[in-house]
Amino acid sequence: MVSTAIDNAALFAVLSSLADNKQLLGRRYAHWSNGAPSLEAAVAAAAMTQDELGHARTLYPLLEQFEQGQADLTQLDPMTRDARYALAALDHEFLGWADFIAANFLLDTALTTFFAAAQDSSYEPLRARARKVVQEERLHLTHGEGWVARLANAGGAVRANLVEALGRWWDETLCWFGPDDDPTMRRLYDDGMIDATPDTLRSRYLAVVMPVLSRVGLDEPVSHDEASGEWRPTESLPWARWDATTRRLGVIS
Amino acid sequence: MKRATKSKAAPAAAATPRRDALTETRVWQVYARQKYEEPLHEIGAIVADDVELAKVYARSIYDEFAWVEMTLIPREHIVTVIAS
Repeated sequence: MVSTAIDNAALFAVLSSLADNKQLLGRRYAHWSNGAPSLEAAVAAAAMTQDELGHARTLYPLLEQFEQGQADLTQLDPMTRDARYALAALDHEFLGWADFIAANFLLDTALTTFFAAAQDSSYEPLRARARKVVQEERLHLTHGEGWVARLANAGGAVRANLVEALGRWWDETLCWFGPDDDPTMRRLYDDGMIDATPDTLRSRYLAVVMPVLSRVGLDEPVSHDEASGEWRPTESLPWARWDATTRRLGVIS
Repeated sequence: MKRATKSKAAPAAAATPRRDALTETRVWQVYARQKYEEPLHEIGAIVADDVELAKVYARSIYDEFAWVEMTLIPREHIVTVIAS
């Protein structure tokens, strides 16, 4: 019998990472559904939890269609899966509300940047999901922007907590797109599954988050070329610690 | 992990005590309708100091119906004509 399974390790790896990040974001958000600073924020956290888990739930079944997924069926279900393709920063519970906001504003926005680049994907299942995710994530970005401004403008320990939380998520989130010659993202770009290379994705992402941070006086090591409109990190990212398969940072050896 | 964020002085003049900074006080009345032929009617209220967060909260909390329109009115802008 001829196998109809898709043989594409690059797409399988990125879909695995998207699913794991969404799943863990949802679980971490859920913890704050009854611990947010206000009832309104708690309900918003619960709504975002549902969205993230919903996104994960639409992504995991796609893995079954891949030859790479057939090797170990236990890795296709989040209940039995033990592979970790989510950011290392999601390995533990958020340290506080500022961590929730940093993950919401930085990581969730980075994932949305990828989905936005896949809205005309040559891989139809990703294209359909990407459009829905981008639509639903608008509210998440508004929530992140609003709370970043609120915590930053509070000053003192509240602002300091936010700065520390952003620092915990910054490097790994920027790394998630991969170095510009990342063969995985390059393969997706070459196959028409996304419309941008890693550096362009990173630039689009920074174009969203940097104006918000700049407005509240939070500067990141990033440059902006007015002529080309491109945003780039000005400090080197920790690629030596970054795992290209799982798209996450490892410990310093 | 490297701490990359450089923080300038907060735009707000002085640091706000943590509890006050996270406690929102501005009340918004939420109005919505399910059909275009219906008038807007009050469905509740939410508390948020920021208008964009107020929109997020209103959509999150009052999501039980497929509204065709939802608006927010700051409570302090409501003028009482006949007090109860």
